[in-house]
Amino acid sequence: MAKRVGIVGAAVTPFKGKWYEKTYYELAQMATAEALADAGLEPKDIDGVFYGIYNDIFQRTCIPEHPLQGIIGLQNKFGMRVSNGGATGAYTLSAAHAYVAAGRFKAVLMLGVEKATDCFDFQSMSATPEVIKTIGWSGDSFFEQKLGWTAADSYAEVVLAYKDEYPGDLKPEVTAQISALLSEQARSNNYAQRQFDQVTPEEVLNSRIVVEPFKELEICVYSEGAAALVVAEEETARAIANQTGQPVVWITGVGESNEHSFAGRNHKIMHRIISDHIAARKAYEMAGIKNPLQAVDVVEVHDAFVHQLEITMAEMGFVPLGNADSLIEDGLILPGGPLLLNPCGGLIYSGHAVGASNIMSAWSVRNELIRRRLKTGLVHGTGSTIAQYGVVLILEHD
Amino acid sequence: MSNKVIPLEAIPDRSGHTVTIDGRNYLVMNDAMFTFYQRSMGELSDFFLALRDEKKILGCRCTKCGMVRVPPFVTRCPDCNFAPVETVEMGDTGKMLATPPITYFANSLFQQQVPFGRGRLLLEGADTALSVNIYTTKGILVPGLVKKGTEMKVIFRDNRVGEITDIFCVPAAELTADQLAQKGLTASALDWETSTEPALPPAGETEAQHFAAVLQELQALVGEMNGCERARKDIAGWHRTVLVKAAGGEFTLKIADGELTVEPDKTGPSDFVMVCPDPKVLLDGLAYRGSLTQAIMTRNLWISKNIEFNTIFKLERMARSLARSKKV
Repeated sequence: MAKRVGIVGAAVTPFKGKWYEKTYYELAQMATAEALADAGLEPKDIDGVFYGIYNDIFQRTCIPEHPLQGIIGLQNKFGMRVSNGGATGAYTLSAAHAYVAAGRFKAVLMLGVEKATDCFDFQSMSATPEVIKTIGWSGDSFFEQKLGWTAADSYAEVVLAYKDEYPGDLKPEVTAQISALLSEQARSNNYAQRQFDQVTPEEVLNSRIVVEPFKELEICVYSEGAAALVVAEEETARAIANQTGQPVVWITGVGESNEHSFAGRNHKIMHRIISDHIAARKAYEMAGIKNPLQAVDVVEVHDAFVHQLEITMAEMGFVPLGNADSLIEDGLILPGGPLLLNPCGGLIYSGHAVGASNIMSAWSVRNELIRRRLKTGLVHGTGSTIAQYGVVLILEHD
Repeated sequence: MSNKVIPLEAIPDRSGHTVTIDGRNYLVMNDAMFTFYQRSMGELSDFFLALRDEKKILGCRCTKCGMVRVPPFVTRCPDCNFAPVETVEMGDTGKMLATPPITYFANSLFQQQVPFGRGRLLLEGADTALSVNIYTTKGILVPGLVKKGTEMKVIFRDNRVGEITDIFCVPAAELTADQLAQKGLTASALDWETSTEPALPPAGETEAQHFAAVLQELQALVGEMNGCERARKDIAGWHRTVLVKAAGGEFTLKIADGELTVEPDKTGPSDFVMVCPDPKVLLDGLAYRGSLTQAIMTRNLWISKNIEFNTIFKLERMARSLARSKKV
């Protein structure tokens, strides 16, 4: 019988476009120290660590986690790195949950960190082209990289294919409204990269097109930062909660799916993000959720692009495929609506420090569940080429 | 272009600098993490050798379920408990599986190719789609030109090295019946010169006056650009004569090694044609009030040759240089 697993501590560092002041060592230590303090624990109380670090090239080293083991005070203990593209953080949660549920550990740390903007293009004298080039090494190395594969054009493939099937959905006015809404929500996130970059739907509509149909203000921003969670099995979690006075937020559902990276019959269906659909279905089944819109109060969806956020929400069953615009048009995510979506501002305004991102999302859902006394939250991660990876976790207030 | 696997101009000098934040100094070092390879194409060698040496596209067919995969990325069918597959030769026409995205902003490695489409081509008889670059021979590549279901023909580059970029595809509708029927059609056999110019809206007195006013402003702006050393550097060594067609009139934009001139009307042969129904689109782009690239993406500006997008890029740089030099 699997053990119940709960979150008992969490912390994030500020997400910034560039951290000149800190290396990833220090960012990792900052998040760890604060997450342990939040749980009232010390390194000696932790049995092991799961690192979420996406890209070796960003950290400018292979095995980037090895120096961290001692830096965070967990030498001679279990340490495992998870790397799954954009979904790295969510997969790190999934791995940590499984180990603790299996009874291997009482309490473990989940640590996501990324220095995404140290790389630099000396021809344009700016970081962004080199960040994009670095992620460009993630395309299929035999058949796609040399065609100019980028994360943006890869997700655009899926979105354009979706629009082939549902030309009336993902209207520019709606994606602009969602981005503006997220920018408002970021205002209360003191750790967000763009905390005070509030924009109007008109500004989003008028921002430059990066890759059709994505506009500049509809795309997540690359970030540097770290996020950490402490999770524990039931008995330990309850003992910690008694000490800290903070309720346990239980991980009651976990689902993952990786699609085919080639498209066609019996392969990737280009206009779907079936990984999100399957991951959500599995997580709902485990958590006993029948109707997500009824059951879930707060969602932190991995918004690499607003259009993908909308498709993901449809794939996860909150709105119908083909009418994802009802998120706005039926007021589902508007203030006062039934669903709180990306209260942290999402990765578009909070920032995308890849390995740390979904862990930051879990931090946000836990905060909202506790602060607003809500019952159920959902954390989502997407990643890899053509939105191949999907991970969904259900979190519940004690 | 450099023939090295890393372009020499992309490599920084060995040095560093200091950034001061809140009174503390932070050392920032120029650095690189690089690895060179001699990488075998292994079981994929047949596919790449066929592209390079025979101008053929290979796929594989499962001996059990008959699924045809292109490219042939497996030697056994994972759907049939790893039954063996056999190699099949594919044709070189097919349909787009979905509407492909177009890249205009590329990193340094792909700067020479923009704008390019990248999409999935379902070759006739195939069950899986091949990722391909997409171009047009009829002018600049813009959204809407190639969509889901558009019939495409695979074109082989004249200089092939055994990489996926040895091929690209163009809309079949742009080719003659003979070209369509020809196997292993090469890039040099295509007509890249005859473009399909978008029609200009009918123009009256209002358009003519607008055109004259814009032209005057443009001439003043070009004068400023020629007086700006930074802007001149952006077109150093570059020579182009561009015929600009707008509602209300035509003029010629000449780029000659640092010097930009605007001459009324057509002045002899041009390297390419620019069509902008509203000439203010061009003026705004050069004045750094708008963006020429955005104008192209939104189909408010058209150029007759895809490859001349790099001239547009240079003009945008000039606009930025002038704007920045004014700020200082």
